[in-house]
Amino acid sequence: MNKYKRGAILLGILAVLSVLLGIGVGSVPISPVQILTALTGRGDEGIRALVLGLRLPRVALAFLTGAALSAGGTVMQSALDNPLASPFGLGVSAGAGLGATAVMTAGLTGGLAGTFLLPAAGFTGGLVTVLLALALAKAFDKRLSSVTVVLTGMVISLFFSAIMDLMAAMLPEYAQRISLWQMGSFAAKGWRGPAVLCPVLILCFILFMRRASMLDVMTFGDEQAQGMGVDPQRSRLGLIALVAVLAGTAVSFSGIIGFVDLVAPHIARRLFGAGHRRTLPAGMVLGGSFMVLCDLAARTLASPREIPVGAVTALLGAPFFLYVFFRKRRK
Amino acid sequence: MPSEHPMFRIDSFSCGYGKAPVVKDISFTLSPGQRLALLGPNGCGKTTLLRGIMGILSSSGNIELEGQNLRTMTIRERGRNLAMLTQMHSVSFSYTVMETVLLGRYPHLESRLFSSPDAEDRRIAEEQLKKLGLWQERDKPITELSGGQLQRVLLARTFAQTPRLILLDEPANHLDLKYQVELVEDLKKWTGEPGRAAIGVFHDLDLAFSFADTVLLMDQGKTVFLGKTADLEPEALSRVFGIDVPGYMRKSRLRWETLTNREDQHGNLQKPL
Repeated sequence: MNKYKRGAILLGILAVLSVLLGIGVGSVPISPVQILTALTGRGDEGIRALVLGLRLPRVALAFLTGAALSAGGTVMQSALDNPLASPFGLGVSAGAGLGATAVMTAGLTGGLAGTFLLPAAGFTGGLVTVLLALALAKAFDKRLSSVTVVLTGMVISLFFSAIMDLMAAMLPEYAQRISLWQMGSFAAKGWRGPAVLCPVLILCFILFMRRASMLDVMTFGDEQAQGMGVDPQRSRLGLIALVAVLAGTAVSFSGIIGFVDLVAPHIARRLFGAGHRRTLPAGMVLGGSFMVLCDLAARTLASPREIPVGAVTALLGAPFFLYVFFRKRRK
Repeated sequence: MPSEHPMFRIDSFSCGYGKAPVVKDISFTLSPGQRLALLGPNGCGKTTLLRGIMGILSSSGNIELEGQNLRTMTIRERGRNLAMLTQMHSVSFSYTVMETVLLGRYPHLESRLFSSPDAEDRRIAEEQLKKLGLWQERDKPITELSGGQLQRVLLARTFAQTPRLILLDEPANHLDLKYQVELVEDLKKWTGEPGRAAIGVFHDLDLAFSFADTVLLMDQGKTVFLGKTADLEPEALSRVFGIDVPGYMRKSRLRWETLTNREDQHGNLQKPL
């Protein structure tokens, strides 16, 4: 058995374990057998309600969000030939946050329409921000080089975050909600999130895997990619738009969660090599499992209080980011 | 029956970055087996011309491969016919040597749902790795290779692309002498096969002359000389480069002769020159 097959089996075990832990650990402990019984629609009614109504949708949303952000990070890093690029860095999260903040402060979050409006605004905000960043980058640099795109995204991201902070300061009655949204959470989201995110993730995954070889070629930079039959500008635009849709959808349900999109792809590359046919799905499973475990930590470490999951991912992700950055500089 | 078209032809070709072209009105043809060196001082438009031919920059004038207008080809079709090897630069992601060379097959992949290299692609990549003496290194990550080895892997990838024409943009920069000589020898061997040609930019004149049988001397985006390497007037080089090129070459040769004489006399070097 080669190392990739061994790695795939270990990843599978990690995913199953993280899901079982995510569902099983809490104020009411649930054993794996009880979980499986509940999943088949049998067993204790209270446990069934807890598993199917509360913990499973939460774990599913966390897993799908981690997988989506990891896929977004992998694709962004390759499409921009930059190991430090991520949907977060390109402004998807800040844009989504601003969209959601606008809906919150306009008082449009009540009722059935409101429950859909918040993610819709987050998604639209993320997509619009990326399109704005790309339009600005194109205005500065006709060749749409990766450095211009990354810098423009970073500037827009900081600018939108500042607007959010300003709104929180000007409207103190919404400050706590905005602040919570900026840190991300999977609490009490129900099945709506997984139901929307799952098909978007599957569709984007298929489209990314179709472009796996193209992504491989793009990691060698624009000139070499062009020499190998890839139009880097057009391909980059299409890929970034897809990432914006995927990450925007994910963030719109959970709020802003950083670093997973940076950490998971790097670990996946370390374990499975740089080729996208392996590293993309591996990164998604890693990102999903990592997010479930971070969420588990977020809701249990300071129980009964809940820590924002974005804080947990940042606490683990920031040192890793520095490690990647300085390792690259040393080279 | 011989083809009525030259293998490659550009005619009144101009290209550049903005509205004003950097390369102006260049024309030449290439036959199979021919190796053309673009010579000229920095900023004269050598790299711009390569990028124009590759389709990275917008251009005007005719550009044909085997009589077919290159502009009517899709970018993948271009990739099947033209390949570009640039100067060595760092790589961010740790593909293995084999994976990197297989990427040269990208323009040949069929556009199936999840197209990936097939047995034939692997055979071609394997053949190139063996030809360039890289087979033992096939599972090594390219991030762990020396600059010279990496450039050799990228050359194998360029060959695996099985193009008709290779464009070389200062591929020997930053390489040790050994790798420079090997690179030129490998390129000469490659163009020795039927239906292949190469255009190269080399900073080192010696290396350029060792590579090329034909020279296009450029200055300010225009042709100063086009012809056989042997027919190039040294004075033309001096005018374009702004120094006494034959004088420099003579001094260089003298230094070399002193070095080799000293070696002959004493059997080894006493001190560096």
